[in-house]
Amino acid sequence: MASVIEMKEERKDLKEEFETTDMALFVRTSEESMNDWNRQRIVDALIRETYIDVDTAKEIAREVEDLIVTSKIKMITAPLVRELVDTKLVERGLEQARKMHTRLGMPLYDVDQLILHPNKENANVPHGPEATNLTLAERIKKEYALLSVFSQETADAHMRGDIHLHDLGFVDRPYCSGQSLEYIKRFGLSLPNSIAMAKPAKHPEVLLAHMVKFAAGLQSNFAGAIGWDAVNLFFAPYLTGMSDRDLEQLAQMMIFEFSQQAVARGGQAIFTDLNLYWEIPKHFENVPAIGPGGEKTGKNYSDYMKESQRFAWALFNVFMEGDGSGRPFFFPKPLVHITEKFFQTPGHMDFLHHICEVASEKGNTYFIFDRGETAKISECCRLSFKLDQTDLEDAKEPWKMRYCALQNVTLNLPRIAYLAKGDDTRLFSKLTEFIEIAVKAHLEKKVFIEKLLSIGERGPLALLAMNRDGSPYLRMHRASFLIGMVGLNELVQVHTGQEMHQSRQAFKFGLKVIAHMKLLVDKLCERYGMHFVLEQTPAESTAYRFAKLDLKFHSPRSGHIVKGDLSKGEVYYTNSTYLNNSAVLNPIERVRQEGLFHPLIEAGALTHIWLGEAKPSRESLANFVIKTFRQTQNDQIAFSPEFTTCNACNRTSRGLRSSCSYCGSAEVDGITRITGYFTKLSSWNKGKIGELHNRYRNQAYIEAKEGGTVLKAG
Amino acid sequence: MEQIKIFFKAKCPKCPAAKEIGMELKREGVPVFHYDLDTIDGLAEASFYSILSTPSFIIEDEEEKEVASWRGVVPTLQEVRQRLFRSN
Repeated sequence: MASVIEMKEERKDLKEEFETTDMALFVRTSEESMNDWNRQRIVDALIRETYIDVDTAKEIAREVEDLIVTSKIKMITAPLVRELVDTKLVERGLEQARKMHTRLGMPLYDVDQLILHPNKENANVPHGPEATNLTLAERIKKEYALLSVFSQETADAHMRGDIHLHDLGFVDRPYCSGQSLEYIKRFGLSLPNSIAMAKPAKHPEVLLAHMVKFAAGLQSNFAGAIGWDAVNLFFAPYLTGMSDRDLEQLAQMMIFEFSQQAVARGGQAIFTDLNLYWEIPKHFENVPAIGPGGEKTGKNYSDYMKESQRFAWALFNVFMEGDGSGRPFFFPKPLVHITEKFFQTPGHMDFLHHICEVASEKGNTYFIFDRGETAKISECCRLSFKLDQTDLEDAKEPWKMRYCALQNVTLNLPRIAYLAKGDDTRLFSKLTEFIEIAVKAHLEKKVFIEKLLSIGERGPLALLAMNRDGSPYLRMHRASFLIGMVGLNELVQVHTGQEMHQSRQAFKFGLKVIAHMKLLVDKLCERYGMHFVLEQTPAESTAYRFAKLDLKFHSPRSGHIVKGDLSKGEVYYTNSTYLNNSAVLNPIERVRQEGLFHPLIEAGALTHIWLGEAKPSRESLANFVIKTFRQTQNDQIAFSPEFTTCNACNRTSRGLRSSCSYCGSAEVDGITRITGYFTKLSSWNKGKIGELHNRYRNQAYIEAKEGGTVLKAG
Repeated sequence: MEQIKIFFKAKCPKCPAAKEIGMELKREGVPVFHYDLDTIDGLAEASFYSILSTPSFIIEDEEEKEVASWRGVVPTLQEVRQRLFRSN
C-alpha cells in the first residue's frame, strides 16, 4: 500500500493536461519500494473498499490528481491522498463510502507524545517500547472497532459518553476468563501455533511452568483478567510428601513468576486471580484427582485436603513477606473463599488469622463470601456466579470448567439523571434505552468474535478455538455479557438532591435503579438466549472519562455533582453502586449497606475498606470478616493499606509520604489499591488521584488498644 | 403503630398463603404492605431488607425499624399476632 508520494524536483511544473502515467511522482509503498504515481490505484482502492461505481471512482481519481498537480506541494503522503479522496466522497454525499474508505492511524504529534510519556488509562501498563507498541495497536484497533465492528448508533453512544465500551483496543478478543488447572494437567501444553508440544507435567515445578505459559497465552487472547479456580486444591496431588521448605519455594516461584511476567513480556502484567479454598469445595469432594503425568491418582480431591491447605498457607507466607523490597505483590491476587464449610473445616481460625495478617500487613487478601448451600465460583475478578446443574456435571471433569465474559459495557448513570430533569418516568425510560444500547453492543461484539472463532485453529483466535475435549476452549454458550454502571450515587444525587449515604429515601432510590436494571437484564436474557449480567465495573478510567464528558455536556449542573478537585481536573464519579468515598461511615455499616446491592449484581461486587497507614490486628480483621459473612449480604471485601516506596534506597514504609522515612529521599512513589489491584500512584489517572484524596480511611474506627490496633466492627 | 411488609413472587407456591395472612391482618386494621419481587419497587424494597427468599414477612415499628421477621417461611397468623402484640 502506498505510504508516501514524492514529486521529482525537475517535474514539479507539471501541467494539468498530462496523463497520470506521465506524472513524475514516486510512491513509497509499505513493501519499502518506490512505485510510480498511478491514478488507477485510487480507482482500484475505491472499487475494492467501497460500493461506488467505476465512473464515479475514475472521476474522483482524476479530480484528486488535478488537485495534487495544481497544489505544487513538494511531498505528499498517502494518508493525505486518501483524505483528499474522502473529501471528494463527502462532496458527493457518499458518507457510507467515505466511512469504508477511511484510514486508521494516529497524528505524528500523538505518536511522539505516546512514545515519550506514560499511558495513564491503565495503571497496569508500564512505559516502554513494548507498552508503546501495545498502545499504538490499541489506538488503531479502537478506531477499527468504532468504525467497523460496532454500528454507528453504538459507536456514537460510546463517543458521547452515554456508555463505555471497555477495551476497544482489544476488540478482537473476549474480555476476561476463568479456567481450571485441570485442563493443562490433563492435556499438557499443546497450543496451536506453538513450536513444541509438552505432555502433562510430572513435577510441580513443571506444572507451574505450564500454568504460567498458558496464562501468558491466554493474556494474548483476552483483554482482561485471567482467573484460576481452586489453585491450591488442583496443585495438591503434585505436592504429596513435599517438605515445607520445598513447598514454600514453589509458592514463591508461583507468585514471582506471575508478578514478574511484565518484565519478561515487556508489557502488561498478567491480571491473575488465584482462587483459593481452605476446605475442599463440596462440588470437588468426590472428583477423581489428576496427578503427575495427567494420570488419575486413584484418590478423590477430598483426600488431598492436607496438601491443599499447606500450599494455601505457604502462598500467604510469601504474600506476607512481599517482594525483594518488602512491597506488596501487585499480582497475582489471592481470592479466598469464605463459606459455611470453611467454618466447619479444622484449622480455619488459624488460617483466617494468617490471611487477615497478610491483609493488614500487605493488603493482598480478597475475602469472597459464598453464603448458603449453593456452590459458587469466582472465576476472574469480575465474574462470579452460582453453579447450576450443568456446571455441577462439569465439575466432575473440572477441565471443562472454563468460562468467560465476552465484553463489558458500562452505563453513565449520572448522564441519565441529567437528561431526566427530575422526572421519574423519563429517568427509567432513559435507563432502559441505555441498557438496550449496551445489549446491542454485546450482540455486535458477539457476531464479530464468532466470525473470528469460525476460522478455527488457523484463525486469529486459534487458542480459543482449540478443541482438546470435544468443545472449543472458549465455550461460547457459557459466555457472559457484562453490563456495568458508574455513578449510581451521583444519579441519585442529581435526581433526589441527596447522596445515597445521606438518607434512607435516597438509598432506597438507588436500590430501585439497580432493581430496574436487574429485572430488565433478566428479561433480555430470555429474549436473546444470552447471559447478560450486571457488573460492578472496575471503572479505572471510565469514572474519570464520564465525569469529564458530563462537565463538557451537562455544565453547569455537573460541576456541582462530579467528585474530586475541579480546579485540578481531578474529577470522577463514584464507582458503580458504591457510597461516596469520603462519607464518614462505620466500615461495617458501609460493608452492610453496599452489600445490599450485591445480590442484584452477579459479577464481582466488592467493598473496599481503606486503611491508610493503620495496621489493625489480625484478630480484629478476622472478627470483621466473620461479621461480614454472618450479618451482611456483601459478596467480597478487601482491606487496603497504603505504602511509600523509595526509588533511592529501595525500602518501603507504611502510609503515603512525600519523602522516604528511611533515607529522606524525595524520590518516592506511593502504592495502594487503585480499583481491584495494587499499583504505584505515579501511574494513576487524574480521576483516581482525585478519589484517593477523598477516600475516608476509617480513622474514627481504628483504635490503638493494649493488644494492638483494632478495626471496629460494630 | 407497627406495620407489616410481605414479600412474594408470582411463581412461589407458598406465597398465596402468605398473602392470605396479610389480607386477614389488614381486615383487623394492621397496616400491611405487599411487595412483588418481580416489580421494581418490590425488588428494591426486598433488597433493602436483604430478602433473598419468598415469602417473607417483616414487622417494623413506627420508625421503620425491623422488630421481627420470617424469611422464606409462612408463619401462622397466631405467630404474627403474638409478635405484633409483644411489640405493642
